[in-house]
Amino acid sequence: MHASTRHAALRTALIVGSLGLFLAAAAVASAQDPSASPGADASASPAAPSPTVAVEVAPNIPFDLVAPTATPAPLIPGPTAPPPIAHPSNGTTNTCYECHVSVNVQQRTIAEKWQASIHGQNGVGCADCHGGDPTSDRMGIAMDPEKGFIGKPDRLATVGVCGSCHSDPSVMKQYGLPTDQYAKYWTSVHGQQLLAKNDTQVAICIDCHGVHDVKKTTDPSAQVFAPNVPELCASCHADAKKMEPYGIPTNQYDVYKLSVHGKALLEDGDLRAPSCASCHGSHDAKPPTSDTVVNVCGSCHTTTEELYKQSRHAELGAAAPKCWTCHGTHDVTQPSARLFFHPTPPEYTCDTCHDLQNKTLRIELARFKNEQDRRCDSCHHPDSDIYAQVEAIDGALTVAQTAYDGAQAKIDEAAGYGMIVSDADVALSEAKTGIIQAQAAVHTTKLTLVAPPAAEAKKKADEAAAMAQAKLDETVFRRSAMVVVVVILLLNVVALYFVKRRIEHRA
Amino acid sequence: MTAETDLRPAPDLRPAPDGPGGWFESRTGIRELAAALLHVRIPVEARTMYFGGIALFLFMIQAGTGTLLALYYKPTPDAAYDSVISIMSNISFGWLIRSVHHWAANLMILFVVLHLLRVFFQAAFKRPRELTWLMGVGLLGITMVFGFTGYLLPWDQRAYWATVVGTEIAGSVPIIGEQLLLLLRGGADVTAATLSRFFGIHVLVLPIALAGLLAIHLTLVHQLGLANPKKIDPMPGPPPSSARKFFPDYVLDEVIAWYLIIAILVVLASIFPASVEAKANPLETPPETKPEWYFLAVYEFLKLVPKLIGILLPMVGLAILTIWPFLERSPEVLMRRRKIVVAFATFTLVVGIYLTGVGLGFFTVPEFLHFA
Repeated sequence: MHASTRHAALRTALIVGSLGLFLAAAAVASAQDPSASPGADASASPAAPSPTVAVEVAPNIPFDLVAPTATPAPLIPGPTAPPPIAHPSNGTTNTCYECHVSVNVQQRTIAEKWQASIHGQNGVGCADCHGGDPTSDRMGIAMDPEKGFIGKPDRLATVGVCGSCHSDPSVMKQYGLPTDQYAKYWTSVHGQQLLAKNDTQVAICIDCHGVHDVKKTTDPSAQVFAPNVPELCASCHADAKKMEPYGIPTNQYDVYKLSVHGKALLEDGDLRAPSCASCHGSHDAKPPTSDTVVNVCGSCHTTTEELYKQSRHAELGAAAPKCWTCHGTHDVTQPSARLFFHPTPPEYTCDTCHDLQNKTLRIELARFKNEQDRRCDSCHHPDSDIYAQVEAIDGALTVAQTAYDGAQAKIDEAAGYGMIVSDADVALSEAKTGIIQAQAAVHTTKLTLVAPPAAEAKKKADEAAAMAQAKLDETVFRRSAMVVVVVILLLNVVALYFVKRRIEHRA
Repeated sequence: MTAETDLRPAPDLRPAPDGPGGWFESRTGIRELAAALLHVRIPVEARTMYFGGIALFLFMIQAGTGTLLALYYKPTPDAAYDSVISIMSNISFGWLIRSVHHWAANLMILFVVLHLLRVFFQAAFKRPRELTWLMGVGLLGITMVFGFTGYLLPWDQRAYWATVVGTEIAGSVPIIGEQLLLLLRGGADVTAATLSRFFGIHVLVLPIALAGLLAIHLTLVHQLGLANPKKIDPMPGPPPSSARKFFPDYVLDEVIAWYLIIAILVVLASIFPASVEAKANPLETPPETKPEWYFLAVYEFLKLVPKLIGILLPMVGLAILTIWPFLERSPEVLMRRRKIVVAFATFTLVVGIYLTGVGLGFFTVPEFLHFA
């Protein structure tokens, strides 16, 4: 029961990962469409035409989000992949290895790493990357530039060397590997930086996959194995000195480790949890823009994404609050009812939500920088209709959760007495399902969709509590009966003792 | 008490000829047999602490509660777990029957071991009681197999994985291990075949085997009487200088002890009813799997020493224990005249208790004692 509860909590975190999303979105929606009052189904009445929304991007916010209004710079096209390096080969001889393994410790280490690598195990030899003649045991011939020996390629050329095979379907088909990594790489922030500024500090293939010790991504010892990816990215992105030229923050890894995603992946080893690459991409790594972030989160949180699309928030288009508005980015934490309101309402001014000059809504990303500011009432004023709807939603969820917690406590107490509580556990798990459904429905911002599953959850929780109470009543009966039986037994013992004394006395 | 007292006739249980007892007696002639059975030679110095009688009583409880449980238990992987849940939740007093069965099983092992220790330290196994000892060790073995086979039957996670570990230990026995593992499991893994044979062994083979050995054991006790822990027993020489009546004196003491045992069982079953974990899942290994407490000493010993030693040493120890009456042949019964034996046995006992405590989490073995 307890282990399953823990797993359920994890699932909840993953599924309902964007619970408080509707907070800020409802703010924007309320300002535009007061008809979205409690019980109103926004989808039933056409919304007003979407306003022009100004979105300000504050400097140094941790979200790494690109404003949708900012015109992205055109991509610099990447070079065409060179053909695979040609070299003499008899298919079996690799004189490079035979010599280098005995040169010195450093060379032997390199040779042995290659031999154990996925390349070494699949016949991709030294000359496939370095050129030369691996059939000759004479160094002058084997490493002759005229034989195509290129030695250690520079970093830009290295991308081409890898891409020469990995973008060639005829080569990769036998391994069942995709061939789009090369093209994707040039679209990444890394590739573009390399192309635009010949910035060789940026990550290239070997920085993530290794040089001679390339491993499968499914190999747990590989740097690119999912649970190892955050640390791999952090090896550069947490290095303030390396990141200084780019002016980007370096605390993402530390923040991510404490997030619900980081804990699931790094502590629980849950491979379903996202690493950096899950949201940013791997070969095409780049920060998601605010207009794509719903799709990024929705690639895992599919149901939540569908619910969000039904909300008034989603109707606001690019200016709408997105997943990160309420849940953050690297610092996603377990959602709860705390996401509804500040302990005390914040101070509002007209320009909190409105661009007074253009008479449009606006959403300042910087306002959601801190977790404690990601609340519904960050945008929705306590006097607004939407605020009242949020209160009603919060109330429905709170009632269900309170009933659930009460039932859980009774079940735990009954289990503590050694009672079999599996039937109550089943009812409680049904209540949990209702709560999860209601929490997910919060993303629709509609009380009409939140209230029914919340009410069903309360009903099931009450049933579970009644079952657990019956068990507790049973324990009282058992213990009372136990006392009676033990007293009778002890009376028998006393009686027998006197019989024994009498017999001994007679003897 | 005098020698004359010792030779007094067996209790006169003769019923009135015209009563119902007389009617029955005239048709069975049981009086002579009953009188003979109720006459056991008991020196006044004997201190049995009633361990053996309590173990016998617990076996009777197990037979009774086990029969009731078998009425509702379904020995298949699909149904076993649910049937146990049903016994605990739906069947009237099912929880009590199963909980008493559970606790009586544990107490039975405890009292059989206590009985063995009592006999060992009092040297009650010595001539002419070697065969009684042999039967007793056999009964201990059967009792432990009872525990091992019964442990699987609820088919929950704890039962399943404890059986996986237990049978794997059996599979590590040199030479015959692989065959023994297959024999125990009925295949390579713990499956429906394992559950079927464990159930069959638990409710058919073991009760018959235990009843048979018990009959021999009790017959020998009846024939030889109880040993005197203070003096070298003259058997088969003249009777001891003093004796105590088996019936009603000794039997009455036993019955009082049995009443107390019932009271203990009722309290344990009411306050700590037998539990059930999640249904067995062969694909989900629990974080920690441990055998029952009576196997913990061997289990912990296995962790401390090389595997072969960990397997062989307990087996050799059990073999030595079995034939001990033929190894310690001096007639001395007083502990002060058996110092080496008593010291070694005490040391072994303390180590066993310590390792059991380690298994229960009370102690941690120092690093320098890890030889594995």
